[in-house]
Amino acid sequence: MRYKGNILEVNDLCLSLSNADGAPVKILNNLKFNVRSGEILGLIGDSGSGKTMTALAVSGLLSDFAHVDSGEIIFEGEDLVKKTPKERRLLLGEKIGVIFQDPSSALDPLQTVESNLSEIISIRDGDKSKGHERILNMLKTVGFDDPKQIAKRYPHRLSGGQRQRVLIAGAALMNPSLLIADEPTSSLDTVTSMSIMQLLHEMCQEMGISILFISHNLNTVRNFCDRVMVMKEGTIIDADTSWDIMGQPKSAFTAELLMKSKLDPHALGITRGEARENAASVLTAKSICAGYKYAGFTNDKMNHVVNNVDFDILEGECVGLIGSSGCGKTTLVKSILGLIKPSSGIIEMNGRIAAVFQDPVSSLNPAHTVRWHLAEALRASGRKMTREEQKPYFLKILEDVGLEGKHLNRFPHQMSGGQRQKAAIAMCLVQEPAVIIADEPFSALDASSQASVIKLLSDINANRGTTMLIVSHNLLVIKAMCSKVLVMDKGRIVESGNTDEVLENPKAEATHALLKAGKYAV
Amino acid sequence: MGNEVRTVFSKICEFVLTALLVSFFTFAAFSIIPGDTARVMLGPDASEAQVQQLRTELGLDRPLAERYGTWLRDAFRGDLGNSLSFGTPVSELISSRLAVTLGMSFIALIIVILVSFPMAAFCSRNPGNITDKTLSTAGHILFAIPPFALSMMLILIFSKVFHIFTAGRYTAPGDNFGAYVVSLLLPSLCIALPKIAMTFKFLRASMIEYSHSDFVRTAKSHGLTDLRIMLRHIIPNSAVSSITVISLVLSDILGGSLIVEQVFNLPGLGRLLLAAISRRDFPLLSGIVLYLAIITVILYFLADIFAAVIDPRIRDRRAA
Repeated sequence: MRYKGNILEVNDLCLSLSNADGAPVKILNNLKFNVRSGEILGLIGDSGSGKTMTALAVSGLLSDFAHVDSGEIIFEGEDLVKKTPKERRLLLGEKIGVIFQDPSSALDPLQTVESNLSEIISIRDGDKSKGHERILNMLKTVGFDDPKQIAKRYPHRLSGGQRQRVLIAGAALMNPSLLIADEPTSSLDTVTSMSIMQLLHEMCQEMGISILFISHNLNTVRNFCDRVMVMKEGTIIDADTSWDIMGQPKSAFTAELLMKSKLDPHALGITRGEARENAASVLTAKSICAGYKYAGFTNDKMNHVVNNVDFDILEGECVGLIGSSGCGKTTLVKSILGLIKPSSGIIEMNGRIAAVFQDPVSSLNPAHTVRWHLAEALRASGRKMTREEQKPYFLKILEDVGLEGKHLNRFPHQMSGGQRQKAAIAMCLVQEPAVIIADEPFSALDASSQASVIKLLSDINANRGTTMLIVSHNLLVIKAMCSKVLVMDKGRIVESGNTDEVLENPKAEATHALLKAGKYAV
Repeated sequence: MGNEVRTVFSKICEFVLTALLVSFFTFAAFSIIPGDTARVMLGPDASEAQVQQLRTELGLDRPLAERYGTWLRDAFRGDLGNSLSFGTPVSELISSRLAVTLGMSFIALIIVILVSFPMAAFCSRNPGNITDKTLSTAGHILFAIPPFALSMMLILIFSKVFHIFTAGRYTAPGDNFGAYVVSLLLPSLCIALPKIAMTFKFLRASMIEYSHSDFVRTAKSHGLTDLRIMLRHIIPNSAVSSITVISLVLSDILGGSLIVEQVFNLPGLGRLLLAAISRRDFPLLSGIVLYLAIITVILYFLADIFAAVIDPRIRDRRAA
C-alpha cells in the first residue's frame, strides 16, 4: 500500500555548508515544497542553486560539512530531521531510493552486476535463491533483453546507459515510495537519456513510485514531469504544472532559463558559422582509420574505432560532428589532434589547431592559476613575450571570453564550471589557432553556462573568423551554431552536408535515431 | 584458457631473463671487486706458485665469459657446484638455510597484513581524530627506525627485561614446528613493524578515498550499514590498489630478514650470503643470488595472479 497524500513535505528548510575556514555558507533558504504520492516532480535550477543539496538532505546522505539549521522534512508523516543517522540509513534501503548523475563509478568495479544488486535483497530478506529470480526479472523490466548475461557482467563491461539502468534496477528492487533522481541523464547521450526518462516514467505509473526528478534543463523535463519547480539560490521561485510553466513562466528567471534550455538562436543572438567566399580548406581528412592497440603475446591486435573517415572543413566554417556515444567521435578528434596516431590516412591542416575538452574540471591543472595556464599555452604556440607584455594581452583575452581581470590569478577550483570552460577557451585563443576543435564542450555544464559558452564560441567564429569543429550529441547546439554537419555511426561518417538539409531530410538510420531522441530530451 | 597459458609462458620467459641478468651481474661484480679467491682460501703465508696452482684448479684463470658459460650450463642441469669454503654442494647449503629466511618473511608478511588492514580501516572511519593521529604518528616513528636498531631494542625489552624470549635460540622446523615458529616470532616482528607503518599509511589513504567514492554512496543509498560497506566494498577495493605496495613490501621484507638474522644470530640465508662474500666463495654467492631472484620473481608472479583473481578489469586487460 502506498502512502496517500503528500509523501514528502519540506517545510522552511535551511541548510548551511561550512567552507574551508569553517564559516557556514547558507545553501538552502527556507525551502518549502511537497511531493504528492505517485507524481513526478521536476526540480530545476542552475548549478549551485542547491538542487543536489536538497536531494542529499532528503535522502540523508549529506556530508559532514553540511548542517541542517532549521525546518522539517516530513516523509510519510514523520520528520526525518529528528531521526538518528542509523534510522535514516534504514529508511534509505526501504522507502527512499536515490540515483545519481554519473553512473561511471557508481557500481563496485570488483563485483558483478548481480552481486552489486544482491546486497539490496540480502539486507531485507536473506533468501538468495528467490533474490536471483527477482534480480533477473528486474533487469528485464529496466530494458535488458538478456538479463542472465548482464547479471554475470562486471561494471567496466557496461556502457554508461547500461550502468544507469542497473542502478535504476537497484533502486526499483528496493521498491521505494520515493525515488530521488539527481540529474540521472545529464552524463548520457541523447538517445540513451530518452530511454532512461521513459523507464522512470513507466516505473512511476506501474509501480506507483513518486519521483523527485532533478535537472538543470527545463526543456528535458517538460514531457515527463507532472509539476515543475524552479530553484534559485536555495529557494523555490516558481512552481506549477509543467504545461503552465512552459507556456507562461511567472518569473523572469524561469523565462530566461527556458530560453537558454531551448537554445533559441535568435534569443541568444548567435548565427551559424558559414564558410567565406572562395575559402580554402583548413582541415582535411582522407580515409582516416584509427583505434586502440591491445598488446598480444605474438602480435598486437587492433580495435578499429574510426574507419575510413573523410571530411573537408573550409576556412571560417562551423562544422558539427554528431553521433551517439561510442560511435568514435572522440577517437576521431584525438587522431586529428595527434593525441593518438591514426593507423592509416592523411590529415592536412593549414594553421594551428587548438582544442577544448568536455570536462573543464580535469582538463585544467589544479595546482596552477589561469595566468600560468595562459602562459603555458603561449609558450606552446612558440610566441615569445616578456612578463610585462603578457599581462595586458592576457587581460584582453580574458575580456574576450567573458571573464574578468580578477580571474587571472584564480585557481581552477575557485571558479565555476562555465568559467573554467571559458578559461580553457582563453587558452585556445592565446595560441591564435586557425581551427578550434571542441569535444562535447557543453555537456558538463548547466543550461545557463551552456548557453553562454555556446554564445562565446559562436562569437569567436563570427568575429575572429576562427574555424570550428563542434562535437556534440546535442542537436539543438548543432542547429544553432553549425552550417554543416557530419553524422557519425559505428566509426564511419554516414551522412554529411548542410545542417538544415541533413536534419530535415535525414537519410541515414543513425540520424533518424538522433532526431527522434532529440525531440524528447536534450 | 589460451590466455592463461600465454600469461604463464610470458612470466616464465620474464623469469629466465631476470635470472640470466642477475647471475651474470653477480659473476661480473665478483671479478671486479678486489680480493682473490685462491689467496683468501690459502691464507697470506702461501707462495705465489701455490696460489697460481689453485687458481688453475678452480678455473679462475679462464676468461669471465667462459667461466659464466660453464656455471650456467651446470646450473641448468640443477648443479650449482660445490662451495669453496664449506666444501659441500651449494644447493644443500642453501636449502638448509631457506627455512629460516622464508619462514621469517612469511610470518612478517602475515603480521603486516593482519595489523595494517584493521588499523587502516579503523583510522579511515574518522580521519583526523585523536586515535587516527596517534596511530599515524606511531607509524611514522616506526617507519624511521632501521630494522637492526629495532631488533636490538626488542631484544633488550623481551629478553633482558621480560625474559620471555631467548635471542639466538633457533629450533629447526623438522624438530619442533611450534618452537620453530616461536623462535622466529620476534625477528619477524622486527622486520614487520616498519613495513606495517608503510602499508598502513598507504591503505589508510586509499580507504579514505574509497569511502568517498560513488559506489560507496550507492551502497549507502541501498541502506547498507557502515560495517558492511567497509567489508564488502572498501576493503576489497583497497586490497587491489595496495597489491603493488604489498609486493614491494615483500621484497623489502626479504631484504630486511637478511639483516635481522645477523642481529638475532639465526642460521639463515643472510648470514650465508655474508660468509660467501667475505670468503670470496663465488659458487655459493651465485647460488644464493639465483635463489633470491627466483623467490622474488615468484612472489611478484603470485601478486599478479592475486590481483587478477580479485579484479576483473585486470583479467580483461590481459585477455584483450
